[in-house]
Amino acid sequence: MMIKKKLILVLFFLNFYHFAFSNEKIDESKIHKNLRCLVCQGQSVADSNSDFALTLKIVVKDLINKGKSEDEIYEFLSDKYGDWILYKPKLNLGNSLLWILPYLVLLIGGLIILYLIRKNDKKI
Amino acid sequence: MLSNVGNFLLCLNIFLSSLIIHYSFKFLKSSSAVIFRNVYQITVIQSTLVLICFFTLVSAFLISDFSLITVYQNSHTLKPIFYKISGTWGNHEGSLLLWVIVLTIFSFLFLISSKNHPKNYRIYTLIIQNFLILGFLLFIFFNSNPFSIVIPTPSEGLGLNPILQDPALAIHPPLLYVGFVGSSIYFSAALASMITDYSDKSFAQSIKSWVLISWIFQTLGILVGSIWAYYELGWGGFWFWDPVENASLLPWFAMTALLHSLLVLEKRNTLYFWTIVLCLLTFTLSVTGTFLVRSGILNSVHTFANDPSRGIFILIFLSLMIIGSICLLFNKYKPTKDNFNSNSKETFILINNWFMMFYLATVLLGTLYPIFTDALSENKISVGPPFYNSVIIPVVIIFLFFMAFGPQARWIKSKFSNYRISLLIITGAILINFIISFFFKSYSLISNLIMISSVFLIISSFLDIFKKSNYNFSRIISHLSFGFLIFFIGLNHNFSIEKDFNLKLGQTKKIENYNFILEDLKLDQKSNYKSVIGELYIKNLVTDEKKILKPEIRIYNNPSTLTYEASIKTSFFRDYYITMSNIDRSEYYNIKYQEKPFMIWIWISVVTLSLGGCLSLFRNAKNN
Repeated sequence: MMIKKKLILVLFFLNFYHFAFSNEKIDESKIHKNLRCLVCQGQSVADSNSDFALTLKIVVKDLINKGKSEDEIYEFLSDKYGDWILYKPKLNLGNSLLWILPYLVLLIGGLIILYLIRKNDKKI
Repeated sequence: MLSNVGNFLLCLNIFLSSLIIHYSFKFLKSSSAVIFRNVYQITVIQSTLVLICFFTLVSAFLISDFSLITVYQNSHTLKPIFYKISGTWGNHEGSLLLWVIVLTIFSFLFLISSKNHPKNYRIYTLIIQNFLILGFLLFIFFNSNPFSIVIPTPSEGLGLNPILQDPALAIHPPLLYVGFVGSSIYFSAALASMITDYSDKSFAQSIKSWVLISWIFQTLGILVGSIWAYYELGWGGFWFWDPVENASLLPWFAMTALLHSLLVLEKRNTLYFWTIVLCLLTFTLSVTGTFLVRSGILNSVHTFANDPSRGIFILIFLSLMIIGSICLLFNKYKPTKDNFNSNSKETFILINNWFMMFYLATVLLGTLYPIFTDALSENKISVGPPFYNSVIIPVVIIFLFFMAFGPQARWIKSKFSNYRISLLIITGAILINFIISFFFKSYSLISNLIMISSVFLIISSFLDIFKKSNYNFSRIISHLSFGFLIFFIGLNHNFSIEKDFNLKLGQTKKIENYNFILEDLKLDQKSNYKSVIGELYIKNLVTDEKKILKPEIRIYNNPSTLTYEASIKTSFFRDYYITMSNIDRSEYYNIKYQEKPFMIWIWISVVTLSLGGCLSLFRNAKNN
C-alpha cells in the first residue's frame, strides 16, 4: 500500500514537471485579455481590432521590452487611463470587499455545514 | 386597428387577473365548489386571451403595421419573415408580453396539475401569481405598451439591430424566459406554502417538476446565448463574464442549488426553510437580472434597449417582492432540528448548495460591485474574466471532487467503503492528465488540477453506470456531462491557437506550419445587407490538408451597421475560426485565425447536461 501511494505521489508531481521548469516569460496575450478596450462595448484589447486596441498592444510590447513586469505595466496603464481599464481589479482598500466577500461566503457556508454535522455527532 | 385590439386585450387581462384574485379570496372564506369553478374558468380565459394578445402583436409585425411604435422601431418591410416574427420579442415591450405569457400559462398549468394538493395552497399560489401578473400587466400598459401608436404613421420601419437578426438569437429569449419566468411559479408556491403551513415532502413534490422545467430551459437558453456570442461577436470566445450573461447565470446557480435541496426535502422531510429561501431567491434573481439589463445601468455588449423609467418600476416591484417575502419568512420561521451525518447524501447535497452559493455570491458581487464603487466613490472599476477565473476556478477543482463523491453516499448514513476504488480512479485521472500534458503541451498548475479533477468526476460518474445500488440515470448523465463540460473547456482553453495578421488580395502568408492565401474577394447583395466575402485558403504544410473559409464583412442597410461575420469550420476535434476586418485607408485586411479544439463537445456536454434534467422530469411525471 505504501509503495502504491508513493508511486501515485511521484506521478502526481511528474504532472507539474513541465510547469515547474518552464521559464518565467511574460505572457503578452494574458495582459491583453486583462485590458478593456476603452472605445469598444465590453471588449478586451485582445479581442478588439480598434485603433485604440492596436495602439495599446504596441504600448504593452514596448513596456515589456523595457523590462517592466506585468504588475508594473498594469500600474502604468491604470495611472494613465484609470482603473476602468483593468478587468481584474487591483487588491486595494476600495476593492477589498470584492476580493474578500466571496471567500467569506465560502467560509461561513462551510462553518454552517460543520455545525450541522457536529450537532449530529454529539447526539450519538 | 391592431393597436385598439391589443390595448383592449391588455385591459381585459388586467380585469381578469383582478377578478381571479377577487374570487380566490372569496373562495378562501367560503370554499364553495361554484366559486372554485369560476376561478378555474377565468384562468382558462385569461391564458387564452394573453396568447391572443401576443399573436396580435406578432401579426402587427408580420404585416408591418408601422402605426405601432414598437413595430416601427424594430421592424422593416424588407426583413425576412422569420425575423419579423422574432422581432416581436427582440425588443423590450414585446419581450415583456412574452414574460406575462409565461407567468399566465404557468399559473394555469400549475392549477390543473396540482389537483392532489390542498386547495388552499393552490389558491394562494394562484393569488400570488396573479399579483405578479397584474404587476407586469400594469407595467406593460402604462410604461412599456407595445400597442402605443405613432402619429402620423411612418411609411417604413427603422429595422432590427442586425446582430439580433440571427436564428440563435431568435430562440434565445423564449428559452431563457421560460427559465427565468418559470421560476415565478415556485416563488408563488413557496409563499403559499408558508401561508398555509404546507411544509412537508408533498410540497417538494408539487414544485419539483416546475423547478426541473425552468432549470432545463434556463440551461438551454444560456447555451444558445453563448453559441450566439461565439459565432456572432467574432472574438472566438463563448463566455465573456459579461454582466448580462451573468444575469442569466445567477438564477441558474440558485435553481441548481434548489434542484438538489429539494431532494432532501422530498426524501428526508428536512431543510424546508432553506428550500423556501432558494425558491424565493431564484425568482428574485430573475427579476434583478431583468432590472439590471433593462435599466441600462450595466455596461455590456448585449445592452440593446434601455430606459431609466423602466428601471424604477422594476426596482419598486422588486423591493416589494423582497420585503414581502422576507417579512413572511421571518414571521413563519421556526428553528428545526436539522442534523446530518457527516457521510450522508444530505450532507453532500448541502455541500453542493454551499458551493452554488459561493459561485452565486462571486458573480453577483462582481456584477454589482462596479455599480456601487461608481456611485459611492466615482471610481470606475471593471470586473471582468480574469477576476472570475481567478476566484472561481480554484474552487471548482474541489467542487468537482465533491461532485464525484457525493452520489456514492446514501441517505441518513453511509460508510466510506470505496476508498480503494477512489484511489484507483485518481491514479487514472493523474495518468491521463500526464499523458495529455506530456505528449501535447504543458499547461499551468491550475489547469493541471482542473483536468485531473474533471477526469476524476468523469470516471467516477461513468463507473456509477455499472453499479446496481443507488442507481439514478438522470443524475449520472448530468454529473457526467458536467465533468465533460469542464474537461473540454479546459482542453479548449489550453490548446487554442490564435494568429493575427494582415493580408491583401492575392497575397500569401506563411505562419509556422500554415500557408494563408487571400484568394478572392466577392461582393454580394442581399435584401437587408451588402457584404464583402473573402475566400481564404489555409494549407497545412505538414499534413497537406486544405481548407477554404469565407469570412464576411456585412453592411446592413436598416439601420446601417457594419458587422464582421466569422467563418467557422466545425469538425470532430476542432473548430477553425476566421474573422476578417477592413483596415481604414489601406488595401490590407486584418485576419484573425483561431483553432478552437473540442468546441462542439462543449455544446454537446451542455445539451446532455440538460438531458439529465429531462430524464428526471419524465421519471418524476411517471411516479406521480
